[in-house]
Amino acid sequence: MADRSHIVKSYEQELGQLRSMMAQMGGIVENQVALALSAIADRNEEAADAAARQDPEVDQLEREVEGLAIRLLALRSPMAGDLREIVAALKITGDLERIGDYASSIARRSLRIRMPENQISLSGLRSMGRLVQENLRRSIDAITQQDSNRAMEVWHSDRAVDEYYTALFRELVTYMMEDARNIRACTELLFIAKNLERIGDHATNIAERVFYAVTGENLPSLRPRGAPASALTVAETVQEPDVR
Amino acid sequence: MTETDPQVAKSPEVALAVRNLNFYYGENHALHDISIDFPARRVTAMIGPSGCGKSTLLRVFNRMYDLYPGQRATGEVIFDGRNVLERDLDLNILRARVGMVFQKPTPFPMSIYDNIAFGVRLHEKLNKADMDARVQDVLTRVALWNEVRDRLNAPASGLSGGQQQRLCIARSIATRPEVLLLDEPTSALDPISTARIEELLDELKEEFTIAIVTHNMQQAARCADQVAFFYMGRLIEVDSADRMFTNPKQQQTQDYITGRFG
Repeated sequence: MADRSHIVKSYEQELGQLRSMMAQMGGIVENQVALALSAIADRNEEAADAAARQDPEVDQLEREVEGLAIRLLALRSPMAGDLREIVAALKITGDLERIGDYASSIARRSLRIRMPENQISLSGLRSMGRLVQENLRRSIDAITQQDSNRAMEVWHSDRAVDEYYTALFRELVTYMMEDARNIRACTELLFIAKNLERIGDHATNIAERVFYAVTGENLPSLRPRGAPASALTVAETVQEPDVR
Repeated sequence: MTETDPQVAKSPEVALAVRNLNFYYGENHALHDISIDFPARRVTAMIGPSGCGKSTLLRVFNRMYDLYPGQRATGEVIFDGRNVLERDLDLNILRARVGMVFQKPTPFPMSIYDNIAFGVRLHEKLNKADMDARVQDVLTRVALWNEVRDRLNAPASGLSGGQQQRLCIARSIATRPEVLLLDEPTSALDPISTARIEELLDELKEEFTIAIVTHNMQQAARCADQVAFFYMGRLIEVDSADRMFTNPKQQQTQDYITGRFG
């Protein structure tokens, strides 16, 4: 698609601008997630602040991408691959913005956790974080390289994210049952795990939209899913308190 | 070529079936082995760069090319069980059954009323009351009746371009054809007149099979059920409008409709 140029150069330039804004937004969000994970894993307060501080910039980029996409739709009447790419960008920018929100939510929450001494292992959360981060990186690569194979990889690996989440959920509930003093920290960690799981879902959404933009075909509506968090689905129904 | 859209599939009846059609302007081989179906009571749009053969194909359907020496066609165009290309076909009857509207409005230098009655008189003997009814009917269907009812005897040349084109469409449907051929019918019209004609096509397709040649991609997307892309005398791709404009299969189609053609 991108190797053939439009007869109208300014149209080509605007499409290029859209692509570079998407790449920029993807880069910031990826960095936000990395900072948020470092905030939990290394108890790094600076990272937590930095992650949260990038939110306005992401919001601003989302508005700019939306504006440019609407402008392109109105003025260029895009067709075929161009149309799919622009509509995908319009939707992906929303996914990226949500990922940014989840990342700063994780970062803010990490600052509030008072960890009980040596009782709770964070290794599960770290592993889940690495996988989500990897999926996000691949989905952003898929955007910038218009790579449907990369998108497909992300789509297939969301199942593993769900499984991590389920396992982590059980682990954290066990800590809480063992010792009521763990409840406060574990509840925060549960929300963090849930946010990570949601980031994974949005990364998968991005992958699906890139796949459609590149190939013109939709991935099946049912993506491969991990086991549900069994009967212990409390976190699904508990209203998440606003941490801002 | 691939899966057809339900819109197109709903009408399995084929009004025009083109098979292995080749067309020559003297030595110039203008259409190469074209095979395509025109579903009945659907709009098929033909798109492609200038000189790609789309208008040529349209002109084959009512044997317009017979008017010019040195032009010939081989292959088959099956219409109502007969090959349109057969030598002994009655061209007057063919052209009454396959109507045509051109790029520029071509009203006859006569009154609005006579513009419509003229063609009808060639094929049917109607009394005055029936003819009046026919004129009113077709003018109403092209949404021109209210604008001209008080000046039916005024010359057609006094109408605006958009009105003239609607008059020409009324004239071509007055002989009750089965197929309507439109060669860039709105390229000389303003957006409002264009919208009126497009709206009209939507109504006319309930009764007629419509083939439209257009350079306006958005028009093809808005009006057509099926779209065929031609390039250098060859049919590159044909599919539902929906699929052609969101996900064409051929790279050449993609390049053309997105504006990347060199």
